[in-house]
Amino acid sequence: MDERSKTVEIIRRVGAPEPEKISITGILKSQDLSLLLLTLPVTDDPPAAVLRLLGSHGVNIRFITLYDTSPESRLLTLCVEKESLNASLELLRSQQAALDIQSISHHPRVRIVSLYPYKERAQVVERLLTSLRLSGVEPLAVNNASSVLSCVLSSEKFQEALSCLDHVFELP
Amino acid sequence: MERVEPLQIFPLKITRGLVQLSFLGIPSRPGMTRPLFDILNRQGIAIKHLVEGCREQATSDLLICITKEAFSRLRGELSEIRLRLQPRDFAVREPVAVVRTLGPHFDLRPGTSGLLLTALVQAGVRIYSNATTITSSSCVIPEEQVEAAERAIGKAFLIPGARRT
Repeated sequence: MDERSKTVEIIRRVGAPEPEKISITGILKSQDLSLLLLTLPVTDDPPAAVLRLLGSHGVNIRFITLYDTSPESRLLTLCVEKESLNASLELLRSQQAALDIQSISHHPRVRIVSLYPYKERAQVVERLLTSLRLSGVEPLAVNNASSVLSCVLSSEKFQEALSCLDHVFELP
Repeated sequence: MERVEPLQIFPLKITRGLVQLSFLGIPSRPGMTRPLFDILNRQGIAIKHLVEGCREQATSDLLICITKEAFSRLRGELSEIRLRLQPRDFAVREPVAVVRTLGPHFDLRPGTSGLLLTALVQAGVRIYSNATTITSSSCVIPEEQVEAAERAIGKAFLIPGARRT
């Protein structure tokens, strides 16, 4: 698809009649947290070792995604309480070589919005991602639990994200 | 990690016979992943496991697990989906299983996730992806390693009705 047809597609979508709202039961909102992004080699011990290290120092992890980004590396994304950010960074940097951590980056202030019930519905994911991106809010990480779909967002954009979700999801 | 008593979890939920699709490096523009989700929605295909991440500013990665049966229905549309999503890399893994651990308050008790992943790693289980939030942690693993994963989790956590050895 070339740039022009992409633009036309976006305009078509924006100008299209609003689809019906999707009924959900609730939205959970976390407090301010911090996000850590670690690049690790594709072996299973480094992610487990990172979690063991943080856990043994009382760092509470509220959200995790882990996946391979190439045959050689994988991305571990963690949300920790914002009060634990500095201690976590210090710990990880002090053990960076020992734990085989290739890179460490972070967002100091993020929040998680969780929608339920998710019921494994593609429509819920699509509506969440598209509506946020159309409003200029970039999800930093998304995952699903048994009945919950969770999305990590920058705290600065959180209120904007909630108003945007209000247009596509219907609460009782 | 030393614990006085093991954490109790609810029975594991294991879903076998799945396929994992990885779309890596999708340009981050509104609606880029819509063609995939629209097809899944139209065909009534459930997403058994999902993670999305963002390594670089302008792209995102999306990994989903669907049943083998759903994948066979989707196969004919895969090249169109790839064309629309424009991922830098695309991979299919099968057969995989999702092992979902419920209950030990992953968001409240430091060390729970470390305990889970360590148990799996020590049992030689390959974790393709993990999604942990609130009270649930899901690992995508090779289907052939489900029994090893069950044994490992059964040793690390107290599962009601199961005898610890």
